[in-house]
Amino acid sequence: MVKVNQDEKDRGIDAGEKKGVDELQERIKELNCFYGISNIINDDSIPPKEALEKVLEFITDAWQYPDITCARIIVEQKEFRTDNYKETPWTMSSPLMRNGDIIGKLEVCYLEKRPRMHEGPFLKDERRLINAVSDIISKFVVSKELVKPIEKEKKEIKDSKEWEVIIDLLMKTDPRTLLRITRKMVYHLYRTQNKKITELLNTMCPLDREKDTPTWCGINMPNPRRDIEFLNMVQKRVFDVARDSLSSEEISELFHRWMREDKARPLLLKSQKVGIPFVEITDELNRFYETTGGEENLAPEDSISIRSALLSRFFTDRLEFINIAKKFITVDEFVPLLKHTIGPAQGAGKLGGKTSGFYLAKRILEEKMDDDVLENLNFPQGWYITSDTLMDLIQYNDLDEVIHLKYMDPDEIRQEQPFLEQIFKNAIFTQEIIDGLKRILRDLEGAPLIVRSSSLLEDSFGAAFSGKYKSLFLSNQGTLEERLNELTDAIAEVYASTLGPDPIQYRKEKGLLDVNEQMGILIQKVVGNRVGPYYFPAYAGVAFSRNEFRWSPRIRREDGIIRLVTGLGTRAVDRVGNDYPTLVSPKRPELKVNQIVEEKVKYSQKYMDVINLEKGIIETVEVEGILKEYGEEYPEIRDIVSIYEDGELKDPNILTDYGKSDLVVTFSRLVDNKHFISTMRRILYTLEENMGFPVDVEFASDGEDIYILQCRPQSQAQKMERVPIPDNIPKPRQVFSANRYVTTSYVKNIEYIVYVTPEGYQKLESKEKMRRVARTVSCLNEKLPRRNFILMGPGRWGSRGDIKLGVPVIYRDINNTALLVEIAKEKGDYVPELSFGTHFFQDLVEANISYLPLYPDDDNVVFNEQILTGSSNHLSELTPEFSDMEDVVKVTRICDFVDGGTLEVVMDGEANEALAYLKPPDHSLWRMNVVEKIAEELDADLYGVEAMYVLGSTKDYTAGPRSDIDVLVHFRGSEEQKEKLLNWFAEKNKELEKKNEERTGCSVQDLLDVHLITDEDIEKKTSWACHIDSPYNSAREVPLSTDK
Amino acid sequence: MAEEGFNAYKMAQQQFDSIADKLDLDKGTRELLRKPLREYHFTVPVKMDDGSVEVFQGFRVQHNDARGPCKGGIRFHPQETIDTVRALAIWMTWKCAVADIPLGGGKGGVICDPHDLSDREQERLCRGWIRQLSKNIGPLEDIPAPDVMTSAQHMLWMMDEYETIEGAKYPGVITGKPVGMGGSLGRTEATGYGVIFTTREALKELGIKPEETTASVQGFGNVAQYAIELYMEYGGKVVSVSCWDQEDSKPYSYYKEEGIDLEELRSITGRFGSIDKVKAEELGYERLPGEDWIKHDVDILIPAALENAITEDNVHEISETVKLISCGANGPITPEADEVLDEMDLLVIPDFLANAGGVTCSYFEQVQNSNNYYWTKEEVLGKLDDKMTSAFYDVLNLAKRKDIPMREAAYMISIQRVAEACKARGWL
Repeated sequence: MVKVNQDEKDRGIDAGEKKGVDELQERIKELNCFYGISNIINDDSIPPKEALEKVLEFITDAWQYPDITCARIIVEQKEFRTDNYKETPWTMSSPLMRNGDIIGKLEVCYLEKRPRMHEGPFLKDERRLINAVSDIISKFVVSKELVKPIEKEKKEIKDSKEWEVIIDLLMKTDPRTLLRITRKMVYHLYRTQNKKITELLNTMCPLDREKDTPTWCGINMPNPRRDIEFLNMVQKRVFDVARDSLSSEEISELFHRWMREDKARPLLLKSQKVGIPFVEITDELNRFYETTGGEENLAPEDSISIRSALLSRFFTDRLEFINIAKKFITVDEFVPLLKHTIGPAQGAGKLGGKTSGFYLAKRILEEKMDDDVLENLNFPQGWYITSDTLMDLIQYNDLDEVIHLKYMDPDEIRQEQPFLEQIFKNAIFTQEIIDGLKRILRDLEGAPLIVRSSSLLEDSFGAAFSGKYKSLFLSNQGTLEERLNELTDAIAEVYASTLGPDPIQYRKEKGLLDVNEQMGILIQKVVGNRVGPYYFPAYAGVAFSRNEFRWSPRIRREDGIIRLVTGLGTRAVDRVGNDYPTLVSPKRPELKVNQIVEEKVKYSQKYMDVINLEKGIIETVEVEGILKEYGEEYPEIRDIVSIYEDGELKDPNILTDYGKSDLVVTFSRLVDNKHFISTMRRILYTLEENMGFPVDVEFASDGEDIYILQCRPQSQAQKMERVPIPDNIPKPRQVFSANRYVTTSYVKNIEYIVYVTPEGYQKLESKEKMRRVARTVSCLNEKLPRRNFILMGPGRWGSRGDIKLGVPVIYRDINNTALLVEIAKEKGDYVPELSFGTHFFQDLVEANISYLPLYPDDDNVVFNEQILTGSSNHLSELTPEFSDMEDVVKVTRICDFVDGGTLEVVMDGEANEALAYLKPPDHSLWRMNVVEKIAEELDADLYGVEAMYVLGSTKDYTAGPRSDIDVLVHFRGSEEQKEKLLNWFAEKNKELEKKNEERTGCSVQDLLDVHLITDEDIEKKTSWACHIDSPYNSAREVPLSTDK
Repeated sequence: MAEEGFNAYKMAQQQFDSIADKLDLDKGTRELLRKPLREYHFTVPVKMDDGSVEVFQGFRVQHNDARGPCKGGIRFHPQETIDTVRALAIWMTWKCAVADIPLGGGKGGVICDPHDLSDREQERLCRGWIRQLSKNIGPLEDIPAPDVMTSAQHMLWMMDEYETIEGAKYPGVITGKPVGMGGSLGRTEATGYGVIFTTREALKELGIKPEETTASVQGFGNVAQYAIELYMEYGGKVVSVSCWDQEDSKPYSYYKEEGIDLEELRSITGRFGSIDKVKAEELGYERLPGEDWIKHDVDILIPAALENAITEDNVHEISETVKLISCGANGPITPEADEVLDEMDLLVIPDFLANAGGVTCSYFEQVQNSNNYYWTKEEVLGKLDDKMTSAFYDVLNLAKRKDIPMREAAYMISIQRVAEACKARGWL
């Protein structure tokens, strides 16, 4: 019932709105008519006869069906007519008068039959219009002595101002438009601080709200209503004031402007309509553009309204975005944008986060950058697919069940994924989308393409989806048909990736699962040059406006950082581990990460990603091979490489034979080239300043221009989510804190701390002993769980010269740590300098190992050595061969302090603060530990237990404080044993219930939910037993103790 | 500095003391040689790019110049300490003396981290360093060279500043310059070739023909490659080389029983001696763990990569077939391992003799600079051969006569030579 009513209501509103829009268009026509006519009759240079013929043309345009409208004017014996004039039965006529005498007539006819309206096929408004026009013509023919003139009348016409004619007309035909114009006049006068208008306004609402008068009882009482007569009076007085204050030219000018501005009314109305179909708003926008010539003819307030409405229609509803974007993305911009957008014509899809970010960045840069930067700044040709295309595809192919896949178990999703991808690839796109895609391919012919996902979630929730959805390169070679297949395949694959296990998992974590993912798509031409069979940009990369990897204390966080590679930017965006992009500080390019020649060579880019146009695939190839093979053909090779010769790196010059030289990618000349660096610096600065947050910009260059490919908040970049420092950690659980040179990172699930004590290390007597510390660390690095421990030690890790001031490890000795902490303890009156990880800085960056310097002697920092040294040292258990190092190397196990707990280190570069603290276990972890303990305690032989499994929320890590613990017990014993076993579990259950209540305050009945299954159950896969071998919802085996 | 813990200067002094005991040096000589003759501690103000001024602490230690002008590198290091510089200057004195070149020992440095400095700031720092010291260094006084974190570029800035102050061309004020800017040909080969010149003579002494020997080399960098090159030229067969694998972050050794093909391996090797493991295996090399280099049944071991390659832990893994160890790297044998080796029946050519080819070539560079006449590569390497060979025999003969390890003999010879020069000058 409710639904039906709602539908009806919706329809009602739609119809009403449509009507409103149509009427409006009619009003506009009328206005055009008046405006045109008054222009002609006031132009003395036009001969009267010609003027009347022109007037007729305006008249026919103003009627409802201009194509079949004709008109004529008869004045005494003279007749003026449109070319197509013909007498028909559908005629409307109005007399021309002078002083009450008929002197002729104006006739408007339809050439074909049209539906019956107010007066034959004519509208009521058209009657008003014809009367008003005949009035003007009457005055005109009299003044031009087409009939005998009368002196007084002539003077009147001469003085009658064009604008007054219009007002006159509007009063008679279109009071609503007149009201708008009156209002605008009031604003105009008010803005120019016209006193009279202020007085006039006061008379409209004469109550003085400041004073407590008996007629006004407070703000909650409605203001009195004034009748329409009063309004008319006000209108008249407004124009009286105008006449007194402004010259008639000024008023005419204002009228012209306002009437032009009035033409935006349909667009204004349509743009405000929620969910307006793509085709409708596009048509209206084009119409607006064609009829008015663009946004410059809009009133400022209308312009902002339309901008924000279009932004929220196509980009996002997020107000922060709209607030910024409306300053830069103009209404005019939408015309080319929508020309390059495809999607279901009747749909209401958006363009997604990536496209929004890109477009806004583009506009900001175009607006704000100086010409010298813009000269070499460019934006790749792009096309956009609206987000509803995905849903359209799903519905068109009856694939709606795939949407529900997201609620399945992660294991299942993983299993479904390849199949799903094929389903999408075999789905058929609707013809309108295929046509659109063909348009794209024709437009972007020749160069390879990149198909990027542009998720709406990414944008609206500030969540970091980067890297979770696919971006695919296409070689875009071959026939249109081949290219189309390639493109649809890629789009389908990107769509399928929305339902991949990782994004689903991520959405689950962020509580975004129930929102339907809508995925826009951004298709860009890949920036680059063809070199041999390959296609790639001379250089590309990603620039951040905040530097989270400072290699020198002289580099500030705000200076930003650029990761630069030659070839496709993929190698700069992702961390590839064993290869290195060039890191540059845009503010301090002269402070290089690598200063020593060996470092420069070691940490240089060895491989590059290219598109092989012949094979149609992306390849990773050795840079040096390509550089040598193509030499001078390689774009900008001189800016990219250095020559390694006699242990030195030199810039190439005109004499360089690239084929025979030893080439190293250093970007030495590019970085020294002030233009590139300053351009990047200014781009970062401008974008951050105008967007209001730190940004991450992807760029590429074909050697001539720098292209901006993407822009998003830096917080969304991989692993850069800022986590606030918790302020509720009690002192005893804080391990250490820092407030200098902190970079943003979040290190969690730490089980061990390896702490090389500064005092112990200092006391070592020989280099051999110090090296032994390094070997101890190396051994621990192998034995401890990867990324679940942190290393803390004095001074500089990896010290090479004087190893007394830091443990002489190499990168491999520490490569499994999650965090590297350097401790600068005061010695006498000086604090040793820390390394900032320089020895293997780039290794740390590429492996995403965080670095934190500690200054424990500072005020306001925590350094809880009790935890680091006070507990039992696990060194000898883990590495018995190094038990002699116990005084120097302390291995702390976190769960010695908090049962089942872990260490977390929250590092907030923005606030320059970091805190490491002990974290109690979460509910799942606690349950898992409990189950493991029970399994260990259980005497399997005594009770006839074969195996034990855990499943449900504990296994899935989704348990809450009230979740029960589902345990499956594979039982092979006798009835007697069964009873004993169940009793034993009942005991355990009681203990656990009590413990859980202590922990959480929640009392749960039957916390330990034990299900016994037999061999038979397993064979038949009955009830609970089905979980044992199931690929879905599988149970996890818990090892039983074997000693009993 | 804190008193406790390891101190390089103390260690150098202890080492000297023990040799001095054996040489039975008098108190005066000991006092003089235990400490540097002169030390310069000074500040170097540098205008930074941002307009601020940083003041750096600089050092130059001239340990002993009785045998000729001091010679030694300049280090840029954030943890530079005067004690480290002192120790290194002492070792330079002994190294020059054992190679029997007319130079003394020195070392210098600046407390700084080049990673924090732009190129222009480093240039100003180099020039500032020279301005503070121009009166105390020179081709006839003290000749710096590149060292930790300093390069040929730094040397050229320093040379230019010195020449500007002096108003004349003095390329000999600095060594380690690029060829064409006063550098010497043959420098790349010098260290590796030097190792083999001494190895060749040692084989002669052992009565083995080089063409009948096999060797296992640790490392495949500059020193190792040229050592292998010359050794193979003499007919030797290298069955194993080892190198660091960047990708796996660990060393591998590559073994081929019939002997490696140097050119083939070089063609699949990166700039700093990292061999492409996939290609190597394709070429028929057996890939073994890096530490296996020491275990092969060969005649010669050439550790030419890192410090501490032979330790008390692995010294026992050395095959009985090994007759000779030539130390191409600096400090490849720990003192503990040295003690074990002393008991074994094999010859060890100590590092500061075997790899003295480098400093000898620097000396040649300076000689060519002062004549402003440059030798061919063959000339350089020929003269190097003469120098290394005679230095080797000096040490060997003493070792034989006194029945002591060559390492000890080398120290004794060098210290004795310096002590005599001091005496001859009437200082003692």
